[in-house]
Amino acid sequence: MVNPVLLIAVPLGLAFAIPLFALFWKDAAKYIPPVALAFNLVVSLLLLPKVFENPVIVSIGGWQPPFCINLVAGPVGVLFSAIIALVGLLVSIYALDYIKEGATEKYHILYLLLLTGATGVVLTGDVFNLFVFFEILCISSYALVAYLRDKSGIESAVKYLIQGAAGSSLLLIGIGLLYGQFGTLNMADIAEKITSASPISLFVPMVLLITGLGVEAAIFPLNAWLPDAHSSAPSSISAILSGIAIEVGLYAVARVIFTIFGASGILLFLAFLGIVTLLIGEMCAFSQNNIKRMLAYSSIGQIGLILFALAIATSYGVTGGLFQLISHTLGKALLFLAAGYMIYQTGSLQISALEGMGKKMPLTCLAFTIGVFSLVGLPPFIGFPSKFLIVRAALATKETIFIVLTGLALLGTVIEGAYFFRVVQVLYFKGGKINPVRKEAPVAALIPMFIFVLLIVVVGIYPKLVTDVLNSAASEFLSRTEYIEAVLGSIL
Amino acid sequence: MIGLYIILVKHNLIKVIVGLGILDTGVNLFLISVGYITKGTAPIFSGPGIDSKHMVDPVPQALVLTAIVIGVAVLALALSLAIRLHQHYGTLNLRKIREQRW
Repeated sequence: MVNPVLLIAVPLGLAFAIPLFALFWKDAAKYIPPVALAFNLVVSLLLLPKVFENPVIVSIGGWQPPFCINLVAGPVGVLFSAIIALVGLLVSIYALDYIKEGATEKYHILYLLLLTGATGVVLTGDVFNLFVFFEILCISSYALVAYLRDKSGIESAVKYLIQGAAGSSLLLIGIGLLYGQFGTLNMADIAEKITSASPISLFVPMVLLITGLGVEAAIFPLNAWLPDAHSSAPSSISAILSGIAIEVGLYAVARVIFTIFGASGILLFLAFLGIVTLLIGEMCAFSQNNIKRMLAYSSIGQIGLILFALAIATSYGVTGGLFQLISHTLGKALLFLAAGYMIYQTGSLQISALEGMGKKMPLTCLAFTIGVFSLVGLPPFIGFPSKFLIVRAALATKETIFIVLTGLALLGTVIEGAYFFRVVQVLYFKGGKINPVRKEAPVAALIPMFIFVLLIVVVGIYPKLVTDVLNSAASEFLSRTEYIEAVLGSIL
Repeated sequence: MIGLYIILVKHNLIKVIVGLGILDTGVNLFLISVGYITKGTAPIFSGPGIDSKHMVDPVPQALVLTAIVIGVAVLALALSLAIRLHQHYGTLNLRKIREQRW
């Protein structure tokens, strides 16, 4: 029996051990994150089959729930921790070669802390712990955005920090209100008692929690920090921020809405917000010349789509939302990694500077193109089944409003296709006169990129591989009573 | 709430950071008040005759302790970023620092 506590304890401990190891061997710092994350991946995958039967509940300190701080490793939590570990592992391999300048030790410490925070958020079963892990995630990401110490990095880190800190204060007020009403911090316990409370007294904490978490999840209109932060961070960090940090924010929003509040009245509003986020993100992306800003705005669009899918709140909708979440994580991480080396080669962030890259860096460009196709949703790749599921779920509700919103979502996808294909066109079909000198990205960067490509293609062809996992994850979100019983079962 | 007002209105980064600090303190005070009982004692069984009925709730105090530590970390990071920003731009006026646009 593997204990899920290790998923948090091992990376946390190793993160703080990095300076110690680096005293003896200078290069140790950059090899520790891959080791820690490989460990996490193995543990998560070992846990995965077990949690389908019963969620693993760990109570820290020997008290029974709801009095202790507990971890709930249900299908959703373990699935997310596996994805976090997988993406983190691949990006840390990429960073072996990519991060050369500055205080590299500090980079690796912060990187590992960020992923610890993310894992903690998805595994915890306690609202205040959620806040603490969230802060670990946020503070380390503020610092990482400013890592390059250039003008734009510092400026966007300041923006990100101010918005993020204000958001987490709101989150804390929300938690305080919940505690004041129910006298407990355990999510399952709150969820059980919440049925007896009046809806009006719940509204304020719910709005505060969603706003606080929505800042990190970059839901419109709280997303002003995202394009700046993602485009001025180092590319490996952009990949993590875009592939993991905002997904974890969304997870927290979904957990608050579905499990704690079990709210249905707010879902339609969230579906609207999702579509608005989607359209604004895609339109802004369309008008960008800077490739990383374009990718960042496209992340906002994808977040909107996922939020919309989750807000449908049927089993198909949530499954589709989670599937889209995975496909976005893989696709966007791949795009940022590939773009990182293309920018490194050309020394410019402009899309027009990428002319003829298809001949100079064929493998990197191939990876980039596959990432693009997958995000837009072309059939052989992972983006297709996920978008297909969302559309099917939306149409299955048979409500006019959802069908109209689906139409708008598809419009967003068309815009997305337009600007992504423009980049692909620049990569391959322009600037033929430049004599092609082949200069690839280093092997340490190509390996993770092609593992991403492999995953995208394999899961795209056999979506069955993940849909079963996702189905049970979706049912965890939707059936609150089971969650409550699983956590509190021992004392009821 | 005064803190939130300052964050939204002021242009000087240092003042914004002070606003963050005030917001933090306000939230902490609120959390303490959630668990407070008038004429309560500390939640420790330090001697005979202390009844658990008159104790203040210890959980919010633990929360506030954690929140204070997190607040300190955020403020320290914000101030160090402010120093860097001043080195780059020579000003702390957020209206003048507008490199990143849509």
